[in-house]
Amino acid sequence: MAKYILQRLIYMIITLFIIATATFFLMKMLPGSPFDANAQKMSEEQYQSMLEHYGLDEPVPVQYVKYITGMVQGDLGVSFQYDNRAVTDVILDRLGPSAQLGAQALIIGAILGIILGMIAAIRHNTWVDYTSNVIAVIGISIPSFVFAGILQYYLAVQWRLFPPSFWETPIHTVLPTIALMIFPLAICARFMRTEMLEVLGSDYIELARAKGVSSNSIMFKHAMRNALIPVITVLGPMTVSLMTGTLVIEQIFAVPGIGEQFVSSINTKDYPVIMGTTMLFSILFIVVILIVDLLYGLIDPRIRISGGKK
Amino acid sequence: MRQNKWLLLVVALLLGLVLAACSTTGSDSEEGSEDEGSTTESESTQSDEEKVLNIAATADIPTMDPIMAEDNVSFQYVSAVYEGLYRIATGGEIVSGVANKDETEISEDGLTYTFHLREDATWENGEPVTAQDFVYGWQRAINPDNGSFYANYLMSGKIKNAAEIYAGNMEASELGVSAPDDYTFVVELEKAVPYMDSYAAFMTFFPLNQEFVEEQGEDFALTPENMLSNGPFKMTEWNTEAGWVLEKNTEYWDAENVALDGINVKVVKDADTGLSNYEVGELDRVSLQGAQVKDNQTSPEFKSLTETSVFWLKMNQASAEKGEYMQNLNFRMALAKGFDKQSYIDVAYGNDSEPVNYFVPSGFVEHPETGEDFQTGSDVLAFDVEAAKEYWNKAKEELGFEEVTISFLSGDTDVSKSISDYMKTELEKNLEGLTLETVNVPWAQQLELMRTHEYELAVSGWGPDYKDAISFVDLWITDGENNDVGYSNEEYDALVESAKGELATKPVERFEALQQAEKIALDDAAIAPIMQRKTSVLSKDYVKGMDTLNPFGNDYSFKYVDIQK
Repeated sequence: MAKYILQRLIYMIITLFIIATATFFLMKMLPGSPFDANAQKMSEEQYQSMLEHYGLDEPVPVQYVKYITGMVQGDLGVSFQYDNRAVTDVILDRLGPSAQLGAQALIIGAILGIILGMIAAIRHNTWVDYTSNVIAVIGISIPSFVFAGILQYYLAVQWRLFPPSFWETPIHTVLPTIALMIFPLAICARFMRTEMLEVLGSDYIELARAKGVSSNSIMFKHAMRNALIPVITVLGPMTVSLMTGTLVIEQIFAVPGIGEQFVSSINTKDYPVIMGTTMLFSILFIVVILIVDLLYGLIDPRIRISGGKK
Repeated sequence: MRQNKWLLLVVALLLGLVLAACSTTGSDSEEGSEDEGSTTESESTQSDEEKVLNIAATADIPTMDPIMAEDNVSFQYVSAVYEGLYRIATGGEIVSGVANKDETEISEDGLTYTFHLREDATWENGEPVTAQDFVYGWQRAINPDNGSFYANYLMSGKIKNAAEIYAGNMEASELGVSAPDDYTFVVELEKAVPYMDSYAAFMTFFPLNQEFVEEQGEDFALTPENMLSNGPFKMTEWNTEAGWVLEKNTEYWDAENVALDGINVKVVKDADTGLSNYEVGELDRVSLQGAQVKDNQTSPEFKSLTETSVFWLKMNQASAEKGEYMQNLNFRMALAKGFDKQSYIDVAYGNDSEPVNYFVPSGFVEHPETGEDFQTGSDVLAFDVEAAKEYWNKAKEELGFEEVTISFLSGDTDVSKSISDYMKTELEKNLEGLTLETVNVPWAQQLELMRTHEYELAVSGWGPDYKDAISFVDLWITDGENNDVGYSNEEYDALVESAKGELATKPVERFEALQQAEKIALDDAAIAPIMQRKTSVLSKDYVKGMDTLNPFGNDYSFKYVDIQK
């Protein structure tokens, strides 16, 4: 087990290094410069001296080596768009609200989705099943910002049940959480239903039934455990994308999250922040994938991480 | 039986969830001093003594360091927290700040300004604001290590030695500013700057307390604790990306004339969200975008504010392939007069921005003696299809073409695309044989292509940084730094040069020379003016003092804003 994890960690570092390199050079290929707003007002000389000030006048490979060296030492540089703010601060300040919102949406959405999917599978081809199907289809096909708009208009502006936006008290988090959890809820419900149906029709469940195992035990110990595997596969990456914020939801509910940074840093050519957010996303992603792989071993007795021969 | 168990399970799970959700969010809610009299509950009526303005900003403040401020949001709040020699009053008039404007001495040749500071102006910590603070602030701005864009832009070639210092050939201490005593600040210029008053009110020229700034080091101005105010307000809270709170600075010398007790600003990036918050009473004022303008135009709370930004169509005479076409006057006239400006505005903004035929905005500068507006309103480049067709035919004869393809550079947003579609339809309809090829690229790339002059037609605008027509007229001098249309006219150059040189101390003649220069550039169709922009807002009627936009720098002067319920 330890050997396996160590091996995975080495792969991770190599992966991250490749991502950092690719991002860096791709980013440098973007047209424009970080001082767009006033580039019009700059003389050529001043343009050059501003490039110099930000260390952008050196050849790209030199900049690259400097950046990677800094990154290894934990220094991600300072942002261009937020004058003199350390990139780590820019990211950490904004990560909190996004992570909280993402976690709330994910936990509530996933649990409700799993329950809904299970009920639909157990009550296969009844009105319960059809209703949950409709909910799932709506959740998958309608973009979250439409929900966000509807929720804000009716619940906040028309009926004044909740504040329309901002990130201040628990009450403020209700609407964005609902808007964001629709998608994970729908996905989980779909996967859970399909998998449960498949598992419930499989040989070993038949055998368990024949042996007289109680139906609860069959549901939770055998069927649900196996049905959860694909759900977990989907939930892993989804966790990362939810926790790192979603541009649209954050804009609509004025949540001071990081989702928007991914986009605005690219638009403003804020190179250090582009690198910072990309690396953050990659690291989380890779770690989550590892966790998912380890979870398989815990959930599915057929998968053995250590000792097994591949 | 089985059903019941299921139901129980679901209910139990749901309950557990609700509780879990409450406990996770409940923990981080009660921190921060959000409830110290600055929040407004929608149901409570504010008491008479608490005047708090609740507004939104479209973005977090990029910087609170006066020398680094380059955008509207930074300007707005830096100018509320600090005070320079002068400040901009409501309506754009420049009035005394730390320096008494009436006492300022200007030498005969206009090269030396002596400002006399008030002796009762203090920093938030009680220390007096002295001339030394201005010397330090100005030197810090021009120091190339600090990377201030505006310092070089505004000082170089004007304030003595600024260009040399910025180029690294001199020490910042050699800048032409000095403090003969604590309350006298002297500025030496390389050439007369008739708009020195604007400089004295602009952020780049604000004073800074050297001891405090150096103590903060890298962290200066990053949080409320790292700032030292000498202005009407001080910042007490700043939650990145969420909002910030300003409170009245009781140490400010003119605090008794500051009506507001505080300003609550929240970051709202989505226009519809802004409007929702205005409707439920969370905001006292909100700016309107796109379709919102039309929807709210009839509201009694609707206001349209004229900006000093003008937009025009650039016809690049230096373009590699179509330069010879663009250099033909009739060709340019045809393009300039060949599209309906009002329709352009409808497509681009859908608000009541003004179609214009000039490039120096109206309501910006006045005649030094008569007080008449600079802009007398030329109509040489007014929309006129028949005239445009005549010019077009003349251009065809002179250049000997029947058909021509010109590219139109624009952004890649939906609005930019509708603009380029409109221009294509309109110009191709009115000018026979013209094919307009639209090029839609991201904003940054568009700017880069304009900067390197690799375009044929494009729309761009200009907003001034000081209150003087030269800010616009200077744009089109031959080989000028901002002249990216390749326009050149000797007579025009001579007029602009004289306005910058020998006429600098003769306000009336200078004013007329600039008017004359603008007329020449318009007659030559150096650019094709489109519109002077307006911005639309909804504002509760109890908000006073925000009915006009300042002509440069910070849009509003919060010192003079009041709430009268």
